[in-house]
Amino acid sequence: MAEIIQILILGLALGGVIALMGSGLSLVFGVMHIVNLAHPALIVAGAYVTFLGFRYLGIDPILMMIPSAIVMAVVGVVIYKLIFEKEARSAKYSEMTVLLTFALAMSVEGLLGVLFTNTHRVTSPAYATDAFFIGNVFIPKGQLYAGVISLTLIAGVALFLKYSRLGYAIRATTQNREAAELLGVNVNRISIISFALGLALAGAAGSLVSFVFSFFPAKHWEWIPMLMSVVVLGGMGSILGTVVGALVLSVIAAFVGTWIGATWSTMTFFLALFVILLVRPQGLFGEKPEMS
Amino acid sequence: MTDLLQVTNITAGYGDGPAILDGAHLTVEPGKVHCIIGPNGAGKSTLLKSICGMLSIRKGDVIFKGERLNGLRPDQILRKGICFVPQERALFPKMTVRENLRMGGFTLDDSKELDRRVGEIMERFPILRERADQFAGTMSGGQQQTLAMARTLIIKPDIIMLDEPSLGLAPKIVQEMFDIMKMISDEGVTVLLVEQNALMGLRNSDYGVVLDLGRTLFEGPAPEVLADPRIQELYLGGKKAA
Amino acid sequence: MTATHLQTTSASAVVEARRAHNLKLARKSDQSRATWFPLVLLAVLTALPLLQFTGNYNYLLHLVLFTASYAAMASGWNILGGFTGYVSLGHAVFFGIGGYVSGMILARYGVSSLITAPLAGLIAAIIGYGVGLITLKVRGPSFIISSIALLMIARILFDNWGFIGGANGLTLPTNSLSAEWSKLPYYYAMLVIAAVSVWASYRIKHSKFGLGLRAIAKDEIKAESAGINTRFYKVLAFALSAFFVGMAGAVWGEYLTYLRPNIFLLIGVSANLVLMSILGGKGTIAGPVIGAILIVALNEIFVALLGASEINILGTGVVMILVLMFFPLGIVGTLAKSGRLPRLLNWD
Repeated sequence: MAEIIQILILGLALGGVIALMGSGLSLVFGVMHIVNLAHPALIVAGAYVTFLGFRYLGIDPILMMIPSAIVMAVVGVVIYKLIFEKEARSAKYSEMTVLLTFALAMSVEGLLGVLFTNTHRVTSPAYATDAFFIGNVFIPKGQLYAGVISLTLIAGVALFLKYSRLGYAIRATTQNREAAELLGVNVNRISIISFALGLALAGAAGSLVSFVFSFFPAKHWEWIPMLMSVVVLGGMGSILGTVVGALVLSVIAAFVGTWIGATWSTMTFFLALFVILLVRPQGLFGEKPEMS
Repeated sequence: MTDLLQVTNITAGYGDGPAILDGAHLTVEPGKVHCIIGPNGAGKSTLLKSICGMLSIRKGDVIFKGERLNGLRPDQILRKGICFVPQERALFPKMTVRENLRMGGFTLDDSKELDRRVGEIMERFPILRERADQFAGTMSGGQQQTLAMARTLIIKPDIIMLDEPSLGLAPKIVQEMFDIMKMISDEGVTVLLVEQNALMGLRNSDYGVVLDLGRTLFEGPAPEVLADPRIQELYLGGKKAA
Repeated sequence: MTATHLQTTSASAVVEARRAHNLKLARKSDQSRATWFPLVLLAVLTALPLLQFTGNYNYLLHLVLFTASYAAMASGWNILGGFTGYVSLGHAVFFGIGGYVSGMILARYGVSSLITAPLAGLIAAIIGYGVGLITLKVRGPSFIISSIALLMIARILFDNWGFIGGANGLTLPTNSLSAEWSKLPYYYAMLVIAAVSVWASYRIKHSKFGLGLRAIAKDEIKAESAGINTRFYKVLAFALSAFFVGMAGAVWGEYLTYLRPNIFLLIGVSANLVLMSILGGKGTIAGPVIGAILIVALNEIFVALLGASEINILGTGVVMILVLMFFPLGIVGTLAKSGRLPRLLNWD
């Protein structure tokens, strides 16, 4: 019984982090219908920003979430202006943009490789190697903090989307772009803001990831199918769905990892993606994007 | 008296496609209901879309209160005072009715004032108050159309453009939509209506505009349009005036 | 009566004129197509090893072999990605399967990949067929992501399968030829595979099957309502493309003399196939070959000038962004559209 509770807690904590990693992806897809394959690579970039702050300035990785989010948001605006603003007007939007984001992911990976080499890195604040004990159950502080902070942050974003004026505009644009525009929403501006917000979430996630996983520039490839499975399971574009998808799959993965073998836990996510393909032949992303 | 909105000889179409509108013109008088009729593909919806900025105008002008609107985005044109309710429910299906109404006042900066107006609308449309916390997508077609039309009253624009508000609704409910339109008009809002059901549209309007092949064929008081034998023959189903 | 008669004569005159015009067009397109050029190229490359008598050109031969392997794989990829419009980022899986099938046979039974390459291709094709049955149900972004997932799954399986050496891989026996000639068997084998791939993709493009594939790329629903068994066509295209990639992998493994998942199951390999096909011209015959030549040259320049393989990844990514944004039709496609395609590059 203690073992099961143990696995459950670890799975949920990790699931929280994965939910944060996926939420930005989901947000960007919702508003812009872009499947951003570069999102995971940009999370890795956020982890490196955090790594720099931790190693050279001694800033706690959790505090580094703020600068990391800001840096990635700025990167987001630049990327949007350079690549997607032009693309958003072209006809073959969906097909081309996926390949573009793939190429972007490669570029980010290569750039990180040039800057930081391929060495595996991890930030090591004191709590990353510490744990709470409740009876026989041990809870690593690092994962617990990361999970709780992730879920809190997502809750904050959800509240922002639910109650703020900008949040109304983002949700409205997600659901019916044309109608939003006709009610006075500058949808192009909303797209930029959402993209920047999505990448800010990637940056924040990167900070937490930096002490939960070890990372290196090519790490993002395994995160692509992992995050896709989570986001797709939860219904692309819905942040609450992403959280549920992340928690469910991550708990399953935790059980698989303990009872079958650590290498198979990531496999859970990949196989989930194939199962979804089998049961949802209409595609991972549900209805077709609205026509422009 | 100056005209509120003046559309002169505009040419417009989708993307690089052929021109759907080719030499359409329109004069809109303040406070009146104008009904645009014409066969399928005549360019009726295209005309509304070009006015509200969803389509770029290739030639000609849209002048509103003496100001040229060509090239402005839909959100900018809304702020000038022209509101467009597109065909087939312009709602946010996964937002509640209340949230949909609040979106109707997105351009208002004062949140207190917005709440007050949303409350006012719900007073006038009890069905919306009843369903206030329900997702808009779960309501019936007529209720959704009611919401889409009522929502425009939150900002009370100068002109409301309705694209086939009766589309896909049961005949009994269609009359309700015209009643709501009358209610909007009685507020002093100018209405520009596109209607497939030409007879019904014209009978509920002050002015009629006949559009075909992308150009304006006739503009005049609705009774005159209804009485014109050629228009009767070609566009009103050939019915002789009784 | 006279009027009718007049009409008939004029009609037959029109038919005659049309026939003459068509003939002229056909002749013109025959003239503008340079099917002889790939053959000349092949002959030159076949004779190239004679250089070894005059000095050490091992590096040059290596580059040609490397380019030929990519030309073969990109041409194979093009059958699915170019003709059919399903962009796969998982084709490195078939490169790995080919390499491992032939490599394992070589390691256990001593039979060279030069003999077993078709078998390796066949096994890659069978697996491709099975995978295609699942993943080709979806298109666009969904298909692309499923192909990445496929690669990740294969990587985990290969890394953890002790029988094939796991993550450490396997060392393969080397051949007994002296250094200046030891590359030659693989050189010729890869040249043959590349030639066969290009020729096969040409034949496929001009067959009824290829027409069906192109119809699928244009509008799958219309293709289906026109009576094309789209599902079978797509899956077959997937299998065929896996076949050529698998064969190239088979020879590549023995040439390298070792097998390791992190060399074969690399997303960079998949990315190269996509980039080469798009840069050269997706859906054309010469495109993937031209793309392979350019990208291999570019990689050499990046590595030679800048040293690190990370630069290579960055360079590949940036070039791909630029090509997608400003040159989506590729070299052959863009030139053909503006009617300036030199005959040498028109192999269609």
